[in-house]
Amino acid sequence: MRRTFLLEIVMIAVAVAFLFPVYSLVSLSLKDPGQISRSPLALPDPPTFDNYGSAWSAAALGPSLVNSTVITVVSLVALIALGSFAAYFLARVQSRLGYGLYILFLLGIVLPFQLGMIPLYELVSDLGLIGTHAGMILFYTGIQLPFTVFLYTGFIRALPREYASAAQIDGASHLTAFTRVVFPLLRPITGTVLILNAVFIWNDFFTPLVYLGGSGFETVPVSVFAFVGQYVSDHGLVFAGLVLGALPIVVVFLALQRYVIKGFSSGLKG
Amino acid sequence: MTPVTAGRARPAHAGRRRRFSAAAPPWFFAAPALVVYALVVLYPAVSGVVYAFTDWSGIGQDMSFVGLANFRTLLGDEQAMGSIGNTLLLTVAIVAVQNGVGLLLALGVHARLKSRALLRVIFFSPVVVSPVMVAFLWKYIYNPDPSAGLNGLLGLHVDWLGDPSVALWSIAGMVVWQYAGYSMVIFLAGLEGVPRELHEAAMIDGAGTFQRFRYVTWPLLAPAVTINLMLSTIGGLKLFDQVFAATNGGPGYATETLSTVLYKQAFVFGKFGYSTAVALVLALFVAAVSLVQVYYLRRREVTA
Amino acid sequence: MTDLLRDARLSRGQFLRMMGGLAAAAAATACSTRPETTATTGGGQAATELKFIGVADQKTPMDQLAAAYQTSKPSVRITASYAPTDQVQTSLRTQLGAGNAPDLHVVYPGNGSAMSMTQIAKAGLLADLSAQAWTQTIPAGFKPAFQLDGKTYIFSAGSSVIGAVYNKKVFEKAGIEAPPTTWSEFLAVCDKLKKAGVAPIALGAQTPWVTQLITYALVPSTVYAKDPAFDDKQLAGQASFADSGWRDAMEMYLELQKRGFFNDNPNGTTFEQQTSMVATGKAGMAIQVSAVLPDFRKAASSPDDLSMFPVPGADDANSVWIPAGVVVGLGASAKGKNAEEAKAFIDYLGKQESINAWAKAIAAIPLTQDASSTIDPAVESFLPFTKDRAVPFMDQRWPNAEVQPVHFAVIQELLAGKSTIDEALKKMDEAYKK
Repeated sequence: MRRTFLLEIVMIAVAVAFLFPVYSLVSLSLKDPGQISRSPLALPDPPTFDNYGSAWSAAALGPSLVNSTVITVVSLVALIALGSFAAYFLARVQSRLGYGLYILFLLGIVLPFQLGMIPLYELVSDLGLIGTHAGMILFYTGIQLPFTVFLYTGFIRALPREYASAAQIDGASHLTAFTRVVFPLLRPITGTVLILNAVFIWNDFFTPLVYLGGSGFETVPVSVFAFVGQYVSDHGLVFAGLVLGALPIVVVFLALQRYVIKGFSSGLKG
Repeated sequence: MTPVTAGRARPAHAGRRRRFSAAAPPWFFAAPALVVYALVVLYPAVSGVVYAFTDWSGIGQDMSFVGLANFRTLLGDEQAMGSIGNTLLLTVAIVAVQNGVGLLLALGVHARLKSRALLRVIFFSPVVVSPVMVAFLWKYIYNPDPSAGLNGLLGLHVDWLGDPSVALWSIAGMVVWQYAGYSMVIFLAGLEGVPRELHEAAMIDGAGTFQRFRYVTWPLLAPAVTINLMLSTIGGLKLFDQVFAATNGGPGYATETLSTVLYKQAFVFGKFGYSTAVALVLALFVAAVSLVQVYYLRRREVTA
Repeated sequence: MTDLLRDARLSRGQFLRMMGGLAAAAAATACSTRPETTATTGGGQAATELKFIGVADQKTPMDQLAAAYQTSKPSVRITASYAPTDQVQTSLRTQLGAGNAPDLHVVYPGNGSAMSMTQIAKAGLLADLSAQAWTQTIPAGFKPAFQLDGKTYIFSAGSSVIGAVYNKKVFEKAGIEAPPTTWSEFLAVCDKLKKAGVAPIALGAQTPWVTQLITYALVPSTVYAKDPAFDDKQLAGQASFADSGWRDAMEMYLELQKRGFFNDNPNGTTFEQQTSMVATGKAGMAIQVSAVLPDFRKAASSPDDLSMFPVPGADDANSVWIPAGVVVGLGASAKGKNAEEAKAFIDYLGKQESINAWAKAIAAIPLTQDASSTIDPAVESFLPFTKDRAVPFMDQRWPNAEVQPVHFAVIQELLAGKSTIDEALKKMDEAYKK
């Protein structure tokens, strides 16, 4: 009992130290420039929300939130659909070709994104999709498929084959067996796939900058950094911008955290 | 306590244990994914590789085929070679510390603490924030002013990002802060798979805390170790956003990594062909390291 | 090789465009958020949309002039986006590389960077502006910044200078009556500031481009005052960094450090911190380019506290020269379908009225001047030099984009004590020859 208590104290102390950067972020965003230079570490006294007001209007975050949400949600649906189907095939197929295909997908995890950057841009431009949501959705679906397939395949391999076989004995087709029986069993790993891809897509900065810059369809990070680049010398204002940019994904995470961390735990067992 | 590890309810049919395995799913399950993957990843990468054998500047029509010249240049490029050393040091530091810290955190929050749910959320939350934003924040945390940021908190006078002998480790610290929680949840997944009975049995046999960890927990954590080491190694070798935003490779060349070198060659120096050659070397490097790692660690999983 | 690649793409491109049309149509029906690419204006006529990509410093003047232009010419709509330099460089190079340039985009004057006029014009991607009237009045000394082989490819509203941005109140408190006019006076001023308990010079060398400014401030006096044709000699291989006044400039740079005239840890200090140190009186001055004066003023409690003086890089006031460079500008894409409209907008920017407005917004010296031109009082002390004792920023004449980043890196190494002046200049000479 006493040891657990001691451990609890230690862990809480670690967490408090761990939160120091977050404390700096939030407390600075609530100070005016004078306070920041006089007392950078102290609590804001009095706190001012001016920075948030200015950051919100200057960075024009409203439309960006809509863009980011549309792109992230549609990409996630596509990734989960394409990824889980492909992984089911790759996990169950016995041939060498199937294994080769799996390795081919994994190759996508190690390739540096810079390698295909210009040809990819040419491709999206040839498709007429520069400056559109569809172009970004296509990009994220493709670029995140390897990791998605990797997570799903590992999980499905650890799943007993009998589930689907049993359904098939009962006369179901592969498609029905997968959608009705197997896919629901994938819920834990789907949670993991969802959060990891959402984090990546929501936070990605470079691609939307190149593909959406100037289109009026910028995502949140692009708007935030355009803003940050403009007001660099005002830390309070910039940090308020950073908080606003990070807030949506943090809120979603906090709302789903129970599910996310659990899903993560059971999801990665495979 | 009933074991809950593999205890998801199985359908009744499974009990029959037929030695009958359904045929593999048809190929069209994989086809749509393959098409998108080929279009967005494989095709651009393969056509991008062509540039590695040219002297293309990145813009305009002037381009000629130069064979292996870019790779020969790379061998004699002091800066690129130096960046390989930095990349390796950074990767080793990140892999070791991130996973070490992640494991300790996992062991901590795996215990029956009242605050465990909250602690898990706290340690994991930096993972969801954009790395560039984290770098922006840490640039402030690392500022050399003795009254602000980390120096102010610890009463130090360290020039975290400005001192060439410290900067690389400061970047590693920032990355570890952001991703220790990621390692933690993967280890937690592994820990939850360790049956409590084993611990209880070991305790009855008189094993101490350390011995129980060493002989019961650790071997069963092997799959989590494999995934963690692989993901953090790939992440470390390819690390770009954080370095770019925090130091841009400086001071001098102290934090230049393969990723920042290939970026600068392409976009700052206007040597796209050469940059692609560096990218290709990086890709081979990452592939080789992760293959060796997976091969070795999977073997350990079996023998453990 | 080139043609092969390009030809292959044509046919593939047609096919893909068709596919893309399908995908976009599907996406449009799916979420109906596809953007309208052509906007209609009040008169019902279709507007030409001009896309501009610029760096953050250009936002104020560009937004102002674009708005005015649209009022006078309602059939044109300008959509502008701005980002910090590194990011713009990356996204623009990608778009230029893939043959999909925006109609108008930021261009750096002269040569020496991947986004410079010479590098992009050489690739055939910039529209020739030579037919426009304003190009006839470009002062002779600035021509290399605007022109390649006699043709003008970039518009820029004027020039900025590099000098010391100083806090008048701090100078007063330290008992300094007038800005220094010789190097020894400059050192004496620093000494007084140090004794008064402030950092004489704030240096934010963690931000790479800031590292170069002190060398740039000194080199006109140590190199060009003695040999105005140094650039040409260096291009011809008859002169080098190592065997020139560059060595003196580096030695002077390090002397400032040795005497403790910089803030602690310059390599860990950013441009933003540098700015706020001077603005709030924690430091006496910063050696900076006049284009960032607005940043210093924004950070100060009273903008009038700040002014500038030329950094005297010589012990004889008459052989002090200053750096005065053309400010970052913009060009029109040669291949865009709106090239004519884009050029028309640049022609509008070339009007004296527009030049005055742009220059005023960034505290620059207007390219050409008339009665309504204003010159920021802070840079007035530089005007006597601009006629015949000023040289463009050094990188604008460098033959490739590698020298400048090497300069940044070696300065950081020197400040960290990890390198010597010999090694630094050798590295710069090697990069110059690449």
